[in-house]
Amino acid sequence: MATTTMNPIERNEAANHFLVVHPLDDIPERKVDTESLGPMPMTRSVKLSLLSLRAYLILMMLLVFYHVLGMAGLFGIQ
Amino acid sequence: MTNKFVTMPASGLETEVLPARGRVVKSKWARDLLTFLMVVGPGLIVMVADNDAGAVSTYSQAGAQYGTHLLWIVLLLLPVTYFIQEMVVRLGIATGQGHAAMIYQRFGKWWGLFSLIDLELVNFLTLVTEFAAIDLALNKMGVDPRFGVPLVAAGLMFIVLSGSYRRWERTVVCLCLLDLAWFAIAFAVRPPLGQIVRHSLAPSMPAGGLTPDLMFLVIAVVGTTIAPWQLFFQQSCIADKRLRFADVKWARLDTFLGACITITVAGCMMLAGNASRVHGFTFTDPAQMAVNIGSFTGGFFKYAILLMMINAAVLGTTAISLSSSWAYGEVRGWPHSLQLPVRKAPGFYAVYLACVAAAAGLVLIPRAPLQLIILGVQVLAGVMLPSAIIFLQLLLNDKELLGEYANKPWNNLVNWTIIIVLFALSLILAAQVAAPNLFPKVS
Repeated sequence: MATTTMNPIERNEAANHFLVVHPLDDIPERKVDTESLGPMPMTRSVKLSLLSLRAYLILMMLLVFYHVLGMAGLFGIQ
Repeated sequence: MTNKFVTMPASGLETEVLPARGRVVKSKWARDLLTFLMVVGPGLIVMVADNDAGAVSTYSQAGAQYGTHLLWIVLLLLPVTYFIQEMVVRLGIATGQGHAAMIYQRFGKWWGLFSLIDLELVNFLTLVTEFAAIDLALNKMGVDPRFGVPLVAAGLMFIVLSGSYRRWERTVVCLCLLDLAWFAIAFAVRPPLGQIVRHSLAPSMPAGGLTPDLMFLVIAVVGTTIAPWQLFFQQSCIADKRLRFADVKWARLDTFLGACITITVAGCMMLAGNASRVHGFTFTDPAQMAVNIGSFTGGFFKYAILLMMINAAVLGTTAISLSSSWAYGEVRGWPHSLQLPVRKAPGFYAVYLACVAAAAGLVLIPRAPLQLIILGVQVLAGVMLPSAIIFLQLLLNDKELLGEYANKPWNNLVNWTIIIVLFALSLILAAQVAAPNLFPKVS
């Protein structure tokens, strides 16, 4: 496999010049191939985190439900 | 920047691939400066746009009710907001995709749809509060909101329809820099410098101690500084801008700069509120606060604050609407880029336009339930923020996904501490809003 090379003078000049390219003008980079990875492995910490999140969301919904019932005049509160 | 080489399939020759455009500079510092200026944008915008209409109201109310006693909380939020958004930077650059897409792909359809629907709902309600603030400010300026609100909405639609990410970004960065006018406002009404420094660096309790009202406002301050839409916005913005791995350090600097500006501007808003308190005014809303301040500083500052309110709402609206559009486009698989013209990404632009138009329209309806909407935003944001941050934390620990860009142990220690505190605050806020009778009132 051949590569292009520079002579010492060109290399010295090139060393004092920097090409700055805007991200939108640059060639798109290869990123992580997320689609081939599929879902995240459900390790213990991931399961625990998602379980805590579910519990938190259920609690929040119960609070909102309590508030709605309160607004409806139940529990003797307005 | 390193040049890219590709292997030509036919000959097997490796050849240098030159980008389409670039600028040649002759020194490393010029290279670094120019690179930073090219990268700056997503971090600055997400942070400054976070000081939206809701933030203006919250910070100025905090200053109006508790003086400068809560400045230390705002300063404490600087590293918190930076840490959270820095994780978003790494995730966005490593994957080149938005946050909604990542949740959908890695956690499945259920969590993906939950996050999307919650985001869209909270975002829309927040947009309504932005236009409500614009309505309020225009009223105080003597401009008929029935004329002014549609005009602002049209302007917001116009700035994204150019089919150029760069054009949108430059416009919005200019609007962000306008926020620096808050420094001039705060300078004009400032209390003694010693008081500002003392209350910024050392926690202090206002007179009356820790009351439920104070707790509520503290949580509101935290909630307004760290908003769920920021995670989605910045990651999608980074993906749309196609930031590269080499840009990580500049993107971090961009985010840090934005965090510094937003926190100091938040402090300035508190000082403005403090000034109205010191002169004996009771806080009702920031537009009235502007009128009150104008009575002892002159008309210039009244209009300056009102214009800054509108600017804050405009910034918030464009960022929040875009976070909705990007998220929806990512999950639906639609083309979703500001680089695309409308005809190539009709769904993406349609979501943005619909969000802006619907929110603006709702505000103009007589007797619209705006207070209920504002309350709803607080509760839903309380639901949204912890779940968004949990997903962020899990994704950042996904070594399969991020490799070397995954969290280090110290990242996790800091982030889990933030998450636990935010969970607790969100629960307290939601409980206070949804079930206020659970909390004793101080007589």
